[in-house]
Amino acid sequence: MSRDDDLTAGHLQELRRGTVVLACLTRLRTPDYGYSLLESLDVLGIQVDANTLYPLLRRLEKQGLLVSEWDTAESRPRKFYRTSPAGDDLAALLTDDWDRLTASLHRLSEGQEP
Amino acid sequence: MTSLTDRYIWAAVRTVPESERPDLELDIRDLIEGAVEARTATRHDPAAAERDALSELGDPERLAADYVDRPLTLIGPRYYLDWLRLLRTVLLIVVPLATVAVLVVQLLTTGSIGGAIGSAASTAITATVHIGFWTTLLFVVLERSGTTDGTVQWTVDRLPDVPDHDRGARLSEFIASLVFLGLFAGAIVWQQLRPAVRDGDGGAVPVLDPALWSFWIPWFLGLIAAEALFALWVYRRGWSWSSAAVNLLLGLAFAVPALLLWAGGRVLNPAFTGAVGWDPAVAAAGGWKAGGIVVAAVVIIAAWDVADGFLRAHRALAHPARRLSARR
Repeated sequence: MSRDDDLTAGHLQELRRGTVVLACLTRLRTPDYGYSLLESLDVLGIQVDANTLYPLLRRLEKQGLLVSEWDTAESRPRKFYRTSPAGDDLAALLTDDWDRLTASLHRLSEGQEP
Repeated sequence: MTSLTDRYIWAAVRTVPESERPDLELDIRDLIEGAVEARTATRHDPAAAERDALSELGDPERLAADYVDRPLTLIGPRYYLDWLRLLRTVLLIVVPLATVAVLVVQLLTTGSIGGAIGSAASTAITATVHIGFWTTLLFVVLERSGTTDGTVQWTVDRLPDVPDHDRGARLSEFIASLVFLGLFAGAIVWQQLRPAVRDGDGGAVPVLDPALWSFWIPWFLGLIAAEALFALWVYRRGWSWSSAAVNLLLGLAFAVPALLLWAGGRVLNPAFTGAVGWDPAVAAAGGWKAGGIVVAAVVIIAAWDVADGFLRAHRALAHPARRLSARR
């Protein structure tokens, strides 16, 4: 029973792995800071741990897909992230691929032969 | 600032290079405070919220490793197979060689079998540990140095042969041959360097006639080396008519000179037979001469060895397709 649960969780994790990147790049077209991004993704049903998300944001920033700046206006400094033009292009490309995959999977499950 | 958060941040940043620490500290502090804020906004008291948030973030070293892309494996999948292959190859080549070398050298220099075996075993263990450690260290450094093109590209040419199931059986014969040949060669050298027999003045007396060193002992030592190469050939390729023929030649090259030398009384050191008071030409009990027994033994063993080679060649060639039928 718990082995089946582990198996399911593992497959779900595999399937969702790349979607967090796409969600971040899409969502951060509007600038936001880390924890707020986490919560808004959670509300949308895209679950990701804080200790996964923060290193991911940093990695995307290193790859030039996000840009960041520190907002020091409030009581404590917060790091705001925003999707860069390169990140925007990648998000469009990934979205197209996602749509194509969704269509393909639907065709498969409806039993249509190519 | 509360101490749990500070301790968490310190535990995380101390594992990354100095230059990255200030940046990482700001990031992690932002992360923790965001998480704490979200919790205090709903239900928790601040202390419980902090504890809860830090628990959720998990091991600080793992978090820091994620941040700086540090591998959390000693040797990752990129290098694991190369590491395994290299380690296996080096161990299989170096450890037996070093062990046999130490065994032979110790036997020749100290003459104590127990001590030699002890030294050889300790050498085998030391060599294994050193090779394991240094090879692994090399790959750990490679894994962390960030070079990407260090791995050997795999091609179909590297596919192994389908295992030859007779070969496993031949391995024990191969090892037995090498051990026997090594002992034989060692005995020849040993009886010259450290003779057990002393003459009346306490001088060393070799068993074999020292005059043989001018040609025949090097000839037989060369034959032993040739026999070792032949054993390797048979181990790798199996018995065939050509290996049986080579076996015949090697057998003749050994038996014919050995019998002629023995018949001419040129094998044993006259000083040795004198010192031990034994002459093979003199009849022993039952009317048999020891010399005749030696001749018979050499002839029988050589003939049996040659015939055995041809029998094995016949058997191997009668069942040529064992390779794939034995596959399971």
